[in-house]
Amino acid sequence: MGLTGLLAKRLLRSVVVVVGVTIVTFATLHLGGDPTYLYVGEHASAEEIAATRVKLGFDQPLTTQYLRFAHGLAHGDLGDSLTFHEPALGVVLERFPATLELTLTALSLALAIGVPLGVFAALHRGRPLDGGIMLLALLGQSVPSFWLGIMLVLFVGLAWHWLPISGRVPLLDPLFAGDWRTAWTNLPQALPFLVMPSVTIAVFSLARTARLVRSSLLEVLSQDYVRTARAKGLSERRVIVHHALRNAWLPVLTMLGLEFGFLLSGVVVVETVFSWPGVGRLVFNAINHRDIPLVEAAVIVFSLLFVSVNLLVDLLYLRLDPRIRLA
Amino acid sequence: MSAAAVTPPIGAFTAGRRARRSLLRAKWPLLALALLLLITAAALFGPSVAPVDPNRQNLIARLQPPLAVDRRSHRVYWMGTDALGRDVSSRLLYGARISLAVGLVAVLVGGLLGTTLGMLAGYFGGTVDAGVSMVADVQLGFPFILLAIMFLLVLGPGVVNLILALGIGQWVTYARIARGQTVAQREKEYVEAARALGLGHGGILVSGILPNILAPLIVIASFNVASVILAEAALSFLGLGVPPTVPSWGGMLAESRDELLAGHWWLALFPGTAIMLTVLSFNILGDWLRDFLDPRLVAVT
Amino acid sequence: MNLLTDCERRGIRGRMRSNLKERVRDVALLMALACVACAATCFATGATGATGATAASAATATPRRVMRIGIAVDADSLDPAETDAQDTQSIAHLLWGTLYKASSDGKLDPYFAVSAKLSDDGRAYTFKLRPGLKCENGAPLTARDVAYSFDHPADPKLKFTGHAAGFVLPALRYTGTRIDDPLDVTIQFAAYNPIALGLIAEMLIFCRAPYEAMTPEFAASHASATGPYRLVEWRRDDRIVLERNKSYGLPAPPYDDVVFRVIPEASTRTAELLAGNIDIMSGVVADQIDAINHSGTAKVESVASIRRIYVGFNQKAKFSDTPGGRAIKDPRVRRALQFAIDVPTLCDALLRTPCARMATMIFPPNDKTGIRADPYDPDRAEQLLDQAGYKRGADGVRFALTLQTPRGRYPNDVNIALAIAQYLGDIGVKTQVDALDFASVFVPLVRKHDAGPLFLMGSSGASWSALYDLADFPAADGGANYTDFADPEFFAGWQQIEQTHDPAEQAKAVRAMMNVFHERGTWLNLYFLPDLYGVSNKISWQPRADELIVLD
Repeated sequence: MGLTGLLAKRLLRSVVVVVGVTIVTFATLHLGGDPTYLYVGEHASAEEIAATRVKLGFDQPLTTQYLRFAHGLAHGDLGDSLTFHEPALGVVLERFPATLELTLTALSLALAIGVPLGVFAALHRGRPLDGGIMLLALLGQSVPSFWLGIMLVLFVGLAWHWLPISGRVPLLDPLFAGDWRTAWTNLPQALPFLVMPSVTIAVFSLARTARLVRSSLLEVLSQDYVRTARAKGLSERRVIVHHALRNAWLPVLTMLGLEFGFLLSGVVVVETVFSWPGVGRLVFNAINHRDIPLVEAAVIVFSLLFVSVNLLVDLLYLRLDPRIRLA
Repeated sequence: MSAAAVTPPIGAFTAGRRARRSLLRAKWPLLALALLLLITAAALFGPSVAPVDPNRQNLIARLQPPLAVDRRSHRVYWMGTDALGRDVSSRLLYGARISLAVGLVAVLVGGLLGTTLGMLAGYFGGTVDAGVSMVADVQLGFPFILLAIMFLLVLGPGVVNLILALGIGQWVTYARIARGQTVAQREKEYVEAARALGLGHGGILVSGILPNILAPLIVIASFNVASVILAEAALSFLGLGVPPTVPSWGGMLAESRDELLAGHWWLALFPGTAIMLTVLSFNILGDWLRDFLDPRLVAVT
Repeated sequence: MNLLTDCERRGIRGRMRSNLKERVRDVALLMALACVACAATCFATGATGATGATAASAATATPRRVMRIGIAVDADSLDPAETDAQDTQSIAHLLWGTLYKASSDGKLDPYFAVSAKLSDDGRAYTFKLRPGLKCENGAPLTARDVAYSFDHPADPKLKFTGHAAGFVLPALRYTGTRIDDPLDVTIQFAAYNPIALGLIAEMLIFCRAPYEAMTPEFAASHASATGPYRLVEWRRDDRIVLERNKSYGLPAPPYDDVVFRVIPEASTRTAELLAGNIDIMSGVVADQIDAINHSGTAKVESVASIRRIYVGFNQKAKFSDTPGGRAIKDPRVRRALQFAIDVPTLCDALLRTPCARMATMIFPPNDKTGIRADPYDPDRAEQLLDQAGYKRGADGVRFALTLQTPRGRYPNDVNIALAIAQYLGDIGVKTQVDALDFASVFVPLVRKHDAGPLFLMGSSGASWSALYDLADFPAADGGANYTDFADPEFFAGWQQIEQTHDPAEQAKAVRAMMNVFHERGTWLNLYFLPDLYGVSNKISWQPRADELIVLD
């Protein structure tokens, strides 16, 4: 099967995933029973409640409700948020740049610090430095993120005044709107706000990446061809950079896609601690309020992002190694 | 014919010997194992040695620091008391039971589900494989915490629902490995032999293939216990953890979040350390298990 | 697993030496390094640049007085016809005016209106408007706008469900407005209502022209102001920025800008207060009071609010299927349980503030009934229960109950519920606590009158009228009567109140109703919620019982 064939199969798979995600969300949210009570005033009469139920469409059978939703989805209309009275997709996309800023920064941190640390540890395998880095990495994977966030707020933010405690200066919002200039001028003010929340999310991924890079590199270094390269008289540096690293990279790349999904998970907790106005907090409150259109919109955006990133990773993987057949 | 005949060599005897030798040489995994045994002992016997009822409130004696002495009963609060005057050390001991139970049972639930589905997908291939893979992909398309939140908000709070939510959240990790390994195993000779001997699919899967793919699954399980314990803490932070009358480390840590600024550090230190040490130990153990069970790395490590 | 094939596979992979691959790798590495370097320099300049920038601007421009307020929950809507949440009311009252307004000590003072006259039949109030009122764009604000402010939320086609349309107008039994001249407007309602003026005072006054031009969706986030401030920006979940409304002619607060910052995590909010980044914060955690007071940058101000915290006994038939559910139908049992709770200790320990006990439903300054709260007397509680026929069993338990509580809705709600459960357990009533999520589980249960048999609840009254406080029980089938309280003696009092317009007679009826309420143990009365606010030492500000953040 050629590249286009594989790509088409992958795309189809992604579409199925997104649709499946919407079905599961829909079913789960309706499992809790009639959500009408969440949308009427405290002193509403029985007629008002019944009227609201009809207005919001909760009186229809579930399949009808889902088909209506799916029909809208096919036309790009995800309905209005029940709490915001605005198009649900619009509400999610409004918050989306904030969450994207966090996850991209966290991912960059995880890679920029995790990969070199892992390489370093692998090269100094068995020596105290390796042990030290690995212990730190294990610690990084053992800390609950909200606790780390609160610690950072109290020490780095409050006690030592190194960084601002909460809030945000928009970066991606003006960028997406095409306003490069504002994004550029905002950058120095935005970064201090970005540090603590991103670090909190990044720590786990950073640790995991470091360990993965280390084990992957070690595995590669034990291969025959590396021994061959060494035997041929190539310098250690050349062996590592041009032969070992290039192939140790691959498992990390595969992990990237999953790591992104994991980072999106961490976002809900961190956005609450640092009052970061992103999709994580939005979707948590939406689930609380059974704002089904809003949850669906958020879930669709998340899963679209996730499948795109994975598609990209698969593509990169294919490019870097055409001999690997994707299952 | 006995099922043992279909299992290819690597006898349990030699594996056990190797394990002991490897453990004794590396100090960290040994320490981790010792710690886990200690925590298990706390979970099993802790409640009988706990000084007080973990749910007994004493509003007069709330927020006492560690080593404070109760004015009336002259009992020592080894780890202090919490916002309702409950003894932290007792809650910690009872919490060990809950946190470990939630971790292990959730992993068991997820592991059983994932391994079964993965093995079926790998063994039968075709539609079964396509179906399972599709469901797995859909689940992966969800950030785990969203799935857990939706589940718990809809099903309601409670330890059982929590375990279900955490278990179902991770079955995919087992399924993938089980599937890949099953695919590799199903062409082996012993499977042919078993079929010839008249063993049905079930028999082949359970007594033939399963023992051979167990190794990487156990490694994953070890790491997953760690992440489940952390997830329980995160869900407690979001208010979706165990009910307030049930002590758990994640719950205790979540309850302490407003007390840190007030300087009541012991409310976070003890459960936080307990979580960290347990998670660390499972991670170290998982690392060691992976290195130990992976023949290719024997030369390097 | 077939080792050889795997190794071989990887070996072949390794030996592939594509130039493109090599170049891609190197470029990627370089880019990564560049990004790291860039970020580092940006951060370094940013850290110094930010402070440099603010220092420069402070030196050159006249400083604008900014009031920064930290709140826990974002506004639900900035459409005056739609807002519902109590927390949004503070923002709403900065953006819009009202005909009359409640002062901090519970009096209704003229505001946009200069006078109010009740009609002879008691079914209409005629207001004389203050001259010179303006809309945000400078157009004059007249009786037509006032009429629109009542008719627009009442519009059946638009189906608003906020505070105005869902509570005030139905409670008022609003029928319409009559405009006699640009400065005279009459609000009409179906029957005499002793709290009509106060209810009318809760209606926000906004201008007709801008709101006719906006759809409800647009109006939710774009406000056209009539009050002392106008909306500059609403960054959802982040902040609401207001600035001085130049068209507002009346004396305004001394601040040029008001910023409401949404900070849901309590510790983060407190940290911002202590760091000097916000001036007022609502929702101080009780255990952080000392930390704030000792910080040197801020202090805690508390006020006994109009919000009553109580435990309701659900009298609905469906709860009679358990011994506990049957037991609480007996008023003697309910009174007994009241004696079992040590409310002052609850407040001192868990809320870290002495609180105003709830003796009746009425806000203490307005409470003229003379009824005292029941003291903590566990022996008496046990006696009463024995007398009512509920003796302790062999295991010490008389009967079991479930207490449902929201989680995180009221300060320390779960801990209060747990403490109450222990008090009840100590007198032999084994109580289990269910902590439920407020919005998605608790509220629906309560609205359907299905919460129980015991449930912890808060209910806001008013600072300006005892009668408003009784409005939880307008009728036996009232929507807000979550306990299905149906005592006829109590509800007869309403008829008496409606028949006489004399406040003294009304007060007598109220006393009689509250006696019934008290004797029959309708609610397990706890306290009036002490609201805690953190206030920067640089400003002096007093909180209000009605939970409105008013800046004067």
